[in-house]
This record gives sequence, C-alpha cells and structure tokens, in this order.
Amino acid sequence: MARLLASALQLRRNPRILKLPPYLSFLCILVGVAWLFLLPLDQYSRRTYISENALLPGQVHTYFSGSDQNVFRAYKHEVAALAGKTNAQINDGLEPLLRGFGLKTARQNFTYHAAGRAYAGENLYAILQAPRGDATEAIVLVAAWENVRRELNRNGVPLALTLLRYFKRWSLWSKDIILLLTPDSIAGPQAWVDAYHDAHDPSRVAGLPLKSGLLQGALAIDYAQEGRFESLHVVYDGVNGQLPNLDLINSVVHIAQGQMGIGVALQEMWRHSNRYGDRLRTMLRGMVRQGLGLASGPHSAFIPYHVDAVTLRPFGQGWQDEMALGRVVEGAFRSLNNLLEHLHQSFFFYLLMQRERFVSIGTYLPSAMLVAANFTIMAIALWVKSGQPGDAGDDDKAPPPPADEDPLPTVERKLFRPLAAVALIHAVSVVPLYLFNHAPESALAPLFALFALLSAASRPSSPTSSPAPPPPAPSSPSRPSSSASSSPSPSSSSAPPSPPSPPSTSPSP
Amino acid sequence: MRLSGLFALPALLAATLAAAEHTSNWAVLVCTSRFWFNYRHLANVLSIYRTVKRLGIPDSQIILMLPDDMACNPRNAFPGTVYSNADRAVDLYGDNIEVDYRGYEVTVENFIRLLTDRVGDEMPRSKRLLTDERSNILVYMTGHGGNEFLKFQDAEEIGAFDLADAFEQMWEKKRYHEILFMIDTCQANTMYSKLYSPNIVATGSSELDQSSYSHHADNDIGVAVIDRYTYYNLEFLETEVRDTSSKKTLGDLFDSYSYEKIHSNAGVRYDLFRGGAEAARKRLVTDFFGNVQNVEVDGARNSTALEEELLSLSRTIAALHKKADEEEAAAEAERRAKGAKQTPAGPGSKGAAGPFVKPLTEENWLTKKLLGAAAVAGCTLLWGLGSFLEGSGK
Repeated sequence: MARLLASALQLRRNPRILKLPPYLSFLCILVGVAWLFLLPLDQYSRRTYISENALLPGQVHTYFSGSDQNVFRAYKHEVAALAGKTNAQINDGLEPLLRGFGLKTARQNFTYHAAGRAYAGENLYAILQAPRGDATEAIVLVAAWENVRRELNRNGVPLALTLLRYFKRWSLWSKDIILLLTPDSIAGPQAWVDAYHDAHDPSRVAGLPLKSGLLQGALAIDYAQEGRFESLHVVYDGVNGQLPNLDLINSVVHIAQGQMGIGVALQEMWRHSNRYGDRLRTMLRGMVRQGLGLASGPHSAFIPYHVDAVTLRPFGQGWQDEMALGRVVEGAFRSLNNLLEHLHQSFFFYLLMQRERFVSIGTYLPSAMLVAANFTIMAIALWVKSGQPGDAGDDDKAPPPPADEDPLPTVERKLFRPLAAVALIHAVSVVPLYLFNHAPESALAPLFALFALLSAASRPSSPTSSPAPPPPAPSSPSRPSSSASSSPSPSSSSAPPSPPSPPSTSPSP
Repeated sequence: MRLSGLFALPALLAATLAAAEHTSNWAVLVCTSRFWFNYRHLANVLSIYRTVKRLGIPDSQIILMLPDDMACNPRNAFPGTVYSNADRAVDLYGDNIEVDYRGYEVTVENFIRLLTDRVGDEMPRSKRLLTDERSNILVYMTGHGGNEFLKFQDAEEIGAFDLADAFEQMWEKKRYHEILFMIDTCQANTMYSKLYSPNIVATGSSELDQSSYSHHADNDIGVAVIDRYTYYNLEFLETEVRDTSSKKTLGDLFDSYSYEKIHSNAGVRYDLFRGGAEAARKRLVTDFFGNVQNVEVDGARNSTALEEELLSLSRTIAALHKKADEEEAAAEAERRAKGAKQTPAGPGSKGAAGPFVKPLTEENWLTKKLLGAAAVAGCTLLWGLGSFLEGSGK
C-alpha cells in the first residue's frame, strides 16, 4: 500500500504526466459529443409514459361539438369585426361576451420598456368559478390576440371563448378556469403571471383586481391559420430553457394522438419519420432553443412560476377542424381537473426527440459534463505548469530531475497582475451588459458585431501584454463562463472580452 | 338425579352444535385508498356492501370503511352517486348507506382496534365489531398493495403479519366462528400468506408480482369504475346467489375465477380451515355473504329432550302444588276441625294458580297427539268423501 502510494507520488513528478491533459481533455470532448449523438438511438432514449396517476388522459368522452360549432362561428364573426382595432377597443368588444357567460371579468394594464421600445397593452381575463370546487386552485386557458409571429389569432380567440362558454355548462370542475386574453404573446402573459404572483413592478404593471387559486397548469391556443388543420404543434420551451413537466406534454400528446387521432409535432419538425436523423434534429433544435432561452409562446411566461404550460398550434392542411382542437383542450382540461397536486411526478429536465421518445437528464447530462470537464482538466494542468521552474515549453530538453534531489522544485507564482487583469476584464464587462440592455432594437446587431470584433482583437494582444510567467490567466477559463451565465441577457454571453478557453490550451507555441 | 341428567343432555348437544353452526353474520368492508382516480376501490367496496345487504346482513352488522367521498367529489359528473358499472344501472350510494368509518378515520390502528375490539368506552356500538365465537365474518379489503402489505390512504400500510396477529387475537378472544378473508389489490395473495389462526378461508385477486387490474372505465365519469376480481365476484353473487336460500358453495365461487376473466391468478387458502379444502369448499356462500337463516326445522332429538324436561318440570310443579294444597287443607282442618279437602276458596295466590296454570302431563300430550291425528284423519275423510261425491256426480 505504502509502496503504491509512493509510486503514485513518484508518478506525479513525472514531466510526461503533464503532457497528458490536452489529450485527456480532447478525449472528454470527443466522448461527450459522441454520447450526444448516441442519444436518439432506441437503446438510449425512452418511450414517454404518463407518470402521474391522477391525470388519466384520454379517459373521458368529449362532447365539444355540434351546436358549439355555431357558437364558434358567431364568435369568429365578432372577433373578425374587432380585427385591426386598438387593444382597448378589442377588450371593450370582448368583455361583454365574457360577462354574458355570467363570469367575473377584469382588466390589467402593463407597460414594459425594452430595447428602446415600449410594450404596452391591456390584458382581459375572466374567471369561471368551479361550481362545486373550493376555489383554491385554477387552470388557465390563454389566447393571445397576436401570436409570437405577430399574426392575428383569428381562430384561437373565438375557440377559447366558445370553450369557456362550454365549460360553464359543466358542473364537474374542481378548479377554477381562467380565460386570459392578452394583446400579444410575450409581454401580456408575462405581466399577468407576474401580477398574479404579486411579483410585478407596480410602476409598470398594474395589479390584478380579481384572482383565483393557485395555478396548476396553463394551455395556450395559437390558431392563427385560416381553415382546417392537419396536425398539432406542441410548443413547450419556456424562458431561459425552463421546461414544463413532461407529464403535461405527454397528456396532450396522448389525448391528441391517442384519443382524437390528431398528429403531434414538436420543435417545428412538421414531418417526422421517427428515424435517427429526424430524432437528432428534433433534439438539437430543442437544445438550441433551450440554450437561447427565448420565450416561444404565451405559455413561456408561466413556466418560471412553476406553472406547467404548453401552447397548442395547429398547422398543415388537413381535415381536422377547430372543434377537434377544442376537444383536445377539453380533454386536457379534464385531465388537469383530475390533478390532486401540482405536476411533479415526471421529468422537468428532458430532451424530446419525437412525440413519444425522450431522454431524461440522467442520460444526457454525462455528455454535457464530459464536455465541461475538459475546461477543468486544462485549468488544473495549466496551474500545475505555471508552478514549475523553467519554461513550460521545453520540458523535452530539460532532463527529468533526479529522484534524490529536491523532489518538487517549485517557483513562486506571480499572481497579482493576472488576477488584477481578470478582475478588470470582468468589471469592464458591465459596459457591454449595460449597452446591450439599453440600446435600441435597431442598434443591437451592430453593437453585437462591434463587441465580437473587439473581443477577437483583444485576444492576441493579451499574451503580449501579460507578464513573464507563461500562462497569463491560468485560472481564467472557468471564470468568464460563470460570469456569462450570470448575466441575464443571452446575447451578452459572448460579450466579455476575456480569451476563450480552447485557444489558451496552447499558450506558448 | 334424573333431573340433572336431563339438564346435561341439551348442554352437550349445544356444545356439539356450536362447532358446526354460526348464529350471526358480520361483514367488515374496507377500502384503503382515497383520491378521485381511485374511484374504483370505493366502488368495489360499495358493490360488496350492497350485495351483503341484499343477502340480509343488516347495517348494524356491517362495518363499512370509506376513506373518501366520491359521491360528493366535485369531479364527479353525476353528483351524489357512485357507480360500479358503465351502464350506471345501480347507484351504489343510493339513499340508504351507512358508512361507519370515513375519511381519515380509516387507519391501520382503527382497523386493528376494530377487529380486536380494543376500543375505548366512548366508541359507539355502530363502530364496533360485536361478534362472538359463533359469528361468521366476511372481511373484504381493497386498495393499493404490494408484497405483504396494503397501503392505507397514502400514509401508512398494514403488513401481512399485522393482519395475521389481529386475526389470531380475534381467535383467542373468541371473536369469530369462521372468517372469509377476501382481498382485491396488487399482489393480494401475499396478504393472507402469513395468517395462522384457525377457521379462516382466504382468497385474493393476484399472486406475488402480479397486478390486480381494473375491469372497465366509465368514459363520462372519466375513471375506472371497478376492478376485475371484484367484478367477477359480483357477477357470480348477482347471478348465482340470488337470495339467501341459494345453495351455492364457496367452492363454486372460487371455481368461477379464471385467469381469462381476472387477468391475474386469484388464490385461495384452505389449510387453516377445520376440515381443510373439502370442508371449506362446502360452506355456503351465504354463510358469509348472507345473514344467518338457520331455522331448526327437524331437530327431533333436541325437541324431545326439551319436552321431557318441561314435562318433568311441570310434574314437579304439580307435585309441589298438591303438597301445598294438602298442607293448607290440613291446616284448615286443624283449625276448623272440619273435613274439607277440595279446593279451598282461599285468597292466596297459590290457590289461584290452580285453575290458571294447567300442569303438563303425559296424558295431556297424548290427547293432543290423538286430537291432531283425529283432525287429520277427519280432513282426509272429508276430502275423500268430497272427491268421491264429485266423481259420482259426473
């Protein structure tokens, strides 16, 4: 044992061991990326399943049809008449309809300023109180007047109105149902959800005069296309890469696909062969969206508050009509109505690669961790190197130190200047952060290009300006990434002009 | 001497009878799960409840444990009702239901206290299992279970050993005559594997590592409404055991189980029963599911013993009367010095007893028999005469 330890210590001093980290690091990247590409295979991904017993999706007959279609057509006329009017006029037109159902309604004003623009509007919402429920929980149906692509939600809004009118006839709701009509798909829902949870800035967003219980789930309808549709696109990405509980997506897929026979697409993969290529593409699209962290629909605002939500967006030319979408929503609401507690059983971290296949965090995380490990390995290697005498570059010529001499010759690391440089660079990153957050929208792209150029230009200059010890910022590779992730604006993540880590692995050629 | 011998005889007879007959029927029906999606478990129990009530066990002898109230759940599309079939023909909740333990009263502790009757003075009679050594008990349980346990309300569970010990305590306390233990849950058969008390027939829906499945769902209520095992038990009880006079045996009931129907291997355990499988299989279904209807129609030996006893009693009474009369008469004679023996018009109650209490005598018994025989003979004669006259009149 002691000998083993001694030989291990001996090995530690071997200069050849210092040659290892770059290869090890490279191997980590290689395995990590290869791992990622293995995920879409049947052996590594899993079939989805409903984990929450209470959901019971697709077990109820849905009755949303028949005369409700006439009601839908009527509301569609009403909505079409309001098209092109101002937000207040639209709400003036819609509110009497909701009051006509016998529901309590309320409005909420909000104004956001971002990138030199003001996003102002007025949300309108109505609460259908559960006839026999205890008003402690609620589910939300969202229909934005405009979807994320700024198209008029011409079928979605009347469908939501029709559904609410239809839901009013049932006495089996255990949770209140809130219909939320917002002028847009991002700011409106955000203002409403913030205010619902009293997390709003009262100077910009008005409080809600009317509230219900704890939100248990939300479904948004984005039906802007005219006429019938073929399949359903389930949009699930939240803000900053947060995802709704997988059970909600599975329930919607189960109801749409299994019960109604409507195809389901994910991540704008309109055609999916369920083969390796399509699975990989779906998964990578999901990863990119998660990485960018942008809101993808009205549902996105709910997810940070742990309210599981998805947006349903019909697409394609087929024979499914709006009633079919309504039945999907009805089925999903009946399922959510069955819930006894918040969705918690299934996964919150997953990558979907097909509507019925996913990988959970346990399977995909090793890949990301392997890729991340290479930074740590190289950082440690550089740190060790910086503590050894002589130039790190010429270990080949330097004879290995005899074992009986001073076992570990070390030099003092002159740390003040590199640390000061790193601190300064980090402090300076406040400038791009401020600029990106306050620049007008039109200036964002040029600004970004400018900073990209600046950081690229600063990269070669840094070794020359750095002091004698060869690796100027040995511990820096891990730090810029942490500062980048802490900055809220996603576009500023590339802004800190500190040198990116991969080039620094070969510091003195 | 003769008297004591006569008294000993019926006592002996009663002792032998006690081993073979029960005098009361009780049912303990337990659902152990709550929440809307477990609707079927409550429906299971309520269907069995309805069946035992139909077969005559009164509410006072049924202990019904329901942890949740499906009828009043806001999710119920048909408020105030519970159905165990999608045809919704029979509302199990109905207008006459007595739930003894409800909601959070359904706990392992309460269940074991109920079985062993270790309850406080404040416990109402309706919540107690007031059985004795001549009571037959049906214990039906349903819920979510696993290997040797049954979950109670998401909070605790009862183990197979707990159950076995509770039954043993019941036996030691002479709290039952025979028990039919029936359980419908996943891996149900493991629940009765640890029982060790006599006179228990146990049956369960599924073996170790087998799930117990639901039979069908009602798509308007939106949940499964009954489990397969209970469904087919119920089917047998509704079609084969139509009333308390049914002669169907437990053997018939157990033979009706099949894997094709239940989708799991239902199990039966006979070895605890006195007489083993043969005796257990001969027990009537109504011995457990129905109320006791044992009318001793024949019982010749028993009735003669009783009559003899009564006869001897009345003889003694008559003798005592006579003696008392004589004593009284003697006293009177002594006082009045005049011979008056017969029926003194004394004001005493003893004297009044004379004409009212008619002593039973053997002659009297014989005359009664003769009278009866004569009446029957007369009737027969009359009937013969009538038919003869009718025949000749044609």
